[in-house]
Amino acid sequence: MKEFLSELIEIPGVSGYEEQAARRIAREFSPYCDEVQTDSFFNVYGIKRGTAAQQASDRPKVMLAAHMDEIALMVRDIDDKGFIRFTNIGGVDQRILLAQEVTVHGRENLHGIIATVPPHLQAAEDSSKVVKMKDMSIDVGLPVKKVKERVRVGDLITFCSPLVTMQGSMVNGKSIDDRASVVMLTEVMKELDRLQYQAEVYCVATVQEEVGTRGAVISTYRTRPDIGIAIDVTHGETPDAAKEDTHAMDKGVVVCKGPNMHPGLTEKFLEVGKEYGLECQIGIAPRPTGTDARSIQISRSGVPTILLELPLRYMHTTVETLNLNHIKAGARHIALFIASLKEGWQEWLSY
Amino acid sequence: MKTLLAHLTGLYGPSGKEEAVRQAIQQEIKDYVDEIHEDVMGNLIAVKKGNGSGRKVMLAAHMDQIGLIVTNIDENGFLRFSNIGGVSPFNVLHRRVVFQNGVTGAVSYETELEEIKNLKLNKMYIDIGAASREEAKKLVQIGDIAVYHAPMADRENRFFGCAMDDRAGCAVLVETIKAVKNSPNELFFVFTVQEEVGLRGARTSAYSINPDIGISLDVTITGDTPKSRPMAINLGDGPAVKVKDSSLICHPMVKNLMIQRAEEAGIPYQLEVLEAGGTDSGAIHLSREGVPSGVISIPCRYVHSAHEMVDKNDLENAVKLLTRILENEIA
Repeated sequence: MKEFLSELIEIPGVSGYEEQAARRIAREFSPYCDEVQTDSFFNVYGIKRGTAAQQASDRPKVMLAAHMDEIALMVRDIDDKGFIRFTNIGGVDQRILLAQEVTVHGRENLHGIIATVPPHLQAAEDSSKVVKMKDMSIDVGLPVKKVKERVRVGDLITFCSPLVTMQGSMVNGKSIDDRASVVMLTEVMKELDRLQYQAEVYCVATVQEEVGTRGAVISTYRTRPDIGIAIDVTHGETPDAAKEDTHAMDKGVVVCKGPNMHPGLTEKFLEVGKEYGLECQIGIAPRPTGTDARSIQISRSGVPTILLELPLRYMHTTVETLNLNHIKAGARHIALFIASLKEGWQEWLSY
Repeated sequence: MKTLLAHLTGLYGPSGKEEAVRQAIQQEIKDYVDEIHEDVMGNLIAVKKGNGSGRKVMLAAHMDQIGLIVTNIDENGFLRFSNIGGVSPFNVLHRRVVFQNGVTGAVSYETELEEIKNLKLNKMYIDIGAASREEAKKLVQIGDIAVYHAPMADRENRFFGCAMDDRAGCAVLVETIKAVKNSPNELFFVFTVQEEVGLRGARTSAYSINPDIGISLDVTITGDTPKSRPMAINLGDGPAVKVKDSSLICHPMVKNLMIQRAEEAGIPYQLEVLEAGGTDSGAIHLSREGVPSGVISIPCRYVHSAHEMVDKNDLENAVKLLTRILENEIA
């Protein structure tokens, strides 16, 4: 599990350019499901048809969604000294950019550094100011002519930050949002193989979540699920963040409540957790969430949706920190929930 | 191109009231297409049938333009207004505007405002020269929409006037319809409504057409004016192949196809990374199960002002590029 996460976060999968990540994910899904499909936008569908033979009309189709795309940068211009100007793809925090190591995906991959003015050369008032992304540039160590031969406007730039194992079960690295949840999809499939279940399960690794849950829009339309389960990350507690906005890193996955989520189904999900002694925390989202759940819920005629989240520290940085135990625990919880969908499952959808 | 563009940009067509533009385009293209119809939203959809071997391609350019909608008429005959689409107070300040019935007015503001940078649309009004509410009401009603009054001017290869966004795109589509001779692809040319208020015409027309590929034509900003916001697009350096904007990340397959067709034909082009703003392909690509989509952009200075400026060569090269894309196989 950790090996797959480690490999996955190093595969570039910038929103809109997920093909390579999709291929790797499809390969990982393949042994654990009946069929793997990939659509023209590179959403990957791992389909499990269920273990119990059922009348087609009375078994639910459950769609799980975890996004494979990552936030990144994109070349906006190259200046006359060969420094690369860039913009963001997804919610990049400009405060953490200076002196980061990056890979510029030009005609060949170039290692680059986001340039920064040394403290010695900063004016007194500059040291307390945030440098704006529009004023930053990337140095790839080549003269302008060679840069322009290798790099064009629109080329992608990803962060370099491989998975690091910390103490206990904690790891950190880039793009754990939301590759950890993609790994969880695989774990759900493995758990399901140990259970009897009737549902038809579509484990979808979605694209373009970071730019507006766009992969979820089209993949949910295509899948036509009866029930949707989005898996994403939420904020883990840190000393400087408000307690009410964060969750413990060691008290289980977060089940999110709010108008974006189906109340009855969410209660059932929590009951299944209680029944099997699985610890979880409650999250609150008073508005449509920023996750795939946002679009799954309002696809076609509407889809009752649950949102499960992994507490993550330092979201949208290169040192996103996660408790690996939560991947396993969340996967088991989802698999047991799916196995609990038996005859009369439609009643769970009533308000 | 010049005559067509002057004609189209001179027509009244704010979002939701595109009929004059639709009629003019219908007249221009009806003899060059196999089918043509208008849908319930007011989109104009013209079809050129392929030979059955190719893909179903949707081309989109929006007919609508931004405008000012009257919300109140005060006792002295001054009109208060709200915006239709992205209207900047500074772009409309002291501009002449015109209503559908030809009534013109001047846009001004409450001059007691201390700092002009605090100017908001709710401190502004349209003066149509009426002396009273009664007199004004004979000319304009609440809900009427004014657009810029700015007939096109030109110098050498440069055209400037209002509504280049996106009548320039419409003109490119019209000329492409005339230029495309043999296409293996089934081509749906859609002149869309309500782009400026949220890509609304493109959304419904993409749903009904259900294409394999989507390409829209729209304007983009340039970075070649004095101390402009940084943007690696210059007026006259060729049409732009869009990489991204805030409404979509162009599908790599479509983007690469555009680049390939431009390079093999020696058509100049630029690559566009737009940090804010969107266009019809944003709606098209998320239709149904997803439609791989791209955009050919026309470089345009002063977008959403009364004097949007485009370059003739960019327009003609956009026609060439689009024609070449459509006349060949699309993978």
